[in-house]
Amino acid sequence: MAEATWRDYVRNKGKKPSPLTGLRVLEVCTIVFGPSGPSWLAEMGAEAIKVEIPPLGDLERDLSCSGFRFKEQSPLFLHDNINKYYLGLDLHKPEGQEIFCQLAAKADIIENNLRPGVMERFNVDYHKIAKINPGIIYLEKNGFGQWGPYAEENRPSNDGASQAFSGLAWLSTFPGQTPVKQMIYLSDMYGALLAEVAVLSALHHRDRTGKGQYIEISQTESIMRTMSWIWPYLDITRQNPAPAGNRDVSVCPADTFCCADGSMVSLAAAAPVEFAGLCEAMGHPELARDERFADHLTRLKEENAPILLGIIAEWVAQRPAQEIENLAREHGFAASRVRDASQVMADQHIRQRGFMTQVDDAMYGQYRDHEFPVMMSATPPQKKWAARPVGFDNEYVMKKLLNTSDKELKALYGIGALGKWADRPGRRPPPDWDGNSDLILSRDQASPQAARGEK
Amino acid sequence: MSAKRPKWAEWADWVRENDDPRMAGPKPEALDDLVVLDLSSQSYAGAYCSSMLAEFGAEVIRVEPPQGDFLRTCTPYGLLHQGEGLNYLTEGRNKYHVTLDLNLEEGRDILRGLAAQADVLLETFPLGTMDTWGLGYEELKKTNPGLIFASITAHGQFGPEANDPMPDYDNVAQAKSGIQYATGAMLPPEEDVATCPWAVSTKAGPWIAWCSAGTFMATGILAALHWRCRTGQGQALDVATTEAYMRLDNYTHIWFQGGGHVTERVGGLDNALWLYCFAPTSDGGVFLGGLRLEMWQAFCDMMGKWDEWEVGEWDSLSPFLNQEAQLKYFPEVAKFTRQHTSEELVRMAVDYSQSGRLAPITTVIAPILSPKEAMEDTNWNERGVFAPTQDPIYGRVVAVQAQHKMTETPIRTKWVCRPVGYDNAFVYRKYLGYGPAHLSQLREQGVL
Repeated sequence: MAEATWRDYVRNKGKKPSPLTGLRVLEVCTIVFGPSGPSWLAEMGAEAIKVEIPPLGDLERDLSCSGFRFKEQSPLFLHDNINKYYLGLDLHKPEGQEIFCQLAAKADIIENNLRPGVMERFNVDYHKIAKINPGIIYLEKNGFGQWGPYAEENRPSNDGASQAFSGLAWLSTFPGQTPVKQMIYLSDMYGALLAEVAVLSALHHRDRTGKGQYIEISQTESIMRTMSWIWPYLDITRQNPAPAGNRDVSVCPADTFCCADGSMVSLAAAAPVEFAGLCEAMGHPELARDERFADHLTRLKEENAPILLGIIAEWVAQRPAQEIENLAREHGFAASRVRDASQVMADQHIRQRGFMTQVDDAMYGQYRDHEFPVMMSATPPQKKWAARPVGFDNEYVMKKLLNTSDKELKALYGIGALGKWADRPGRRPPPDWDGNSDLILSRDQASPQAARGEK
Repeated sequence: MSAKRPKWAEWADWVRENDDPRMAGPKPEALDDLVVLDLSSQSYAGAYCSSMLAEFGAEVIRVEPPQGDFLRTCTPYGLLHQGEGLNYLTEGRNKYHVTLDLNLEEGRDILRGLAAQADVLLETFPLGTMDTWGLGYEELKKTNPGLIFASITAHGQFGPEANDPMPDYDNVAQAKSGIQYATGAMLPPEEDVATCPWAVSTKAGPWIAWCSAGTFMATGILAALHWRCRTGQGQALDVATTEAYMRLDNYTHIWFQGGGHVTERVGGLDNALWLYCFAPTSDGGVFLGGLRLEMWQAFCDMMGKWDEWEVGEWDSLSPFLNQEAQLKYFPEVAKFTRQHTSEELVRMAVDYSQSGRLAPITTVIAPILSPKEAMEDTNWNERGVFAPTQDPIYGRVVAVQAQHKMTETPIRTKWVCRPVGYDNAFVYRKYLGYGPAHLSQLREQGVL
């Protein structure tokens, strides 16, 4: 029984192994598209080392929400950088490049989202690393890939340009209106996710053959993959698909409607039993037998769907959202109000599933954040710690992986190959940090209280 | 290809020679040692997930009820291509299609036989369905302890609402995610929804919640396979569609906790960045982007506001990173962009990079393209994004595949779809040794 499989899942998470434990990931990543992927691998137990150029590091540390920061940190950076070790390494310097190569020799996966040619300039491109470590899985992510006209023009790209370029924004709007941008960085996040499917497939290939490989991905091309029917539709009809607002033109009925209480509700009832349930709930069971609506393919047609959606809109408009949600449960169709952040945060179901998990972090304290959204019964992914300042784990990484002596460390800091954070929000530790706790190797041993994280 | 090639042209050529998707044919396939049973029902998330694996060469067996999966009827405006709905047409790629009535004990027995030989089983039935059939994870793992049993549903396999029988739909998951709420046009001052019915929370056009659930599940399956390679141990996996999509939201939950702020719609603007917005043009719209102060200054210069706003005196982007400032400046931006076509603005940014006051610094200006324009763009065609598949049954079909490009184990689309039950003879012969006589008997009994 599913119940037996998942009993006490959340409580026992920490006592089980992680699926990617033993794998090492090196990232040279910035702003959403870059760091999200390694974060997912780290949530599944990989040891992710985030290489940043000191003292400013990843530019995502700069991004606030209209000026709001969480204990000085960018909420975005906090979300996209989980369970990582932070190495401040200057790849402009030959000594920094040499350290990177030494780490790459002991790594399984390397990820970056710099422009084409930059890693070559740093002398850490795929050809050089593959000579040291032929099993390496080396991923590069950017706007236009590594070859083709746009890549060669060195066009800059970002999530907004990608939403515009791909046709996604044009499609995700109401007819005749200027397109709106998705509130989330959809192309970046989805592109980062799709890239990990490639990385983990490459890992399976390596598990079988020992061979590594090179992978490139563009976030615009990736978001195009999600636009399923659009492309064959265009190829067959030679017509642009019309923007349809909230209506799902492949499922009928499926749309978002205004309720009597001012909120909005999304509803779907396509399968025969669901549609019959909806008609019953509306008090018009005969609609389910109406020849315009009885069969799904007929109902979807442009001459029928708007009529049906009009009937539903009128019905919903006289009722509060809660009533529609209750009727959906009772009659077996799908409906939910369009939830805002406060309603999402009050959702007890996702909390108890451990998806909206409570992070208990030595630096950023307690706050709720998304767990990796695949629950794995034998090897649960888990958020264990939050973001850290630039170069925060230098000593730990250098000592543990390369056994660098204190004298060598000092020299590396001296020439600037290694470095730590700038004294700026998002780069430095939060203001209430005690200057000691959570450092792995170089805690102040003279103060046992400090070593225990007490002030 | 542009005439003047970059310094790293040699690198670009090497990558292209080694990962152009059109040359994938003879290369090894990353997952061709795997057998995946895809029982997903009425779920694009499931079909999408198994497509990811099938593109890598996994032998994906789609198990459908005798009348076919309802998803085959989920097609825009009811449009069919040679009898097939357009969404399923492109999501049957590289898969084998068999029918099996799991409501019959005989059908369930056959499924047990297949599951004993599979590496992955994917299902999207309402919670409890597989258990009721005696096909739940605890049951199947007895004969196949290495099995990876993956479930995608609206609410997941456990938790207080897990037993809510609500079917899983993309648009409802988008509504629950919190993302749709905060996406959409702002209501113009002194208007209401009756006069501006488009100024409401707006979902993303594609089945993006379903795609997110399917793609996250693919990563979970692959991570579980790695674990199985090391230990031999299988496991059960659980994805709830709403949670998968919600995971792509970078900040609304943190902003709410730290600042008590509910993220509202900002239309084409952005909560975290400036200059970073969509703006209307005389013939459509453009994206304007410049994460650095100088790029915003360059745009002010293009608008002819350099002196009026004393742009040269600005020394930080911070004053513009709040909504108040954006709502003050955006109308000026839009007033300017409306006077030009998208093409004129794109050209203006390029010219500015050559001869503007701040050159080579300029603003990123990208046209908001329709899918048709995107599909005609040379760049994507050169990179093989829209390469059509010649399917033996359905003919020419443009089924866009996953867009990672790989040197050793690239993906490929060999065929796009199969009619219901098309591979019954092949699959049941290969796995269970059933010959034609046995199969026709099963067909008569309604099992297939």
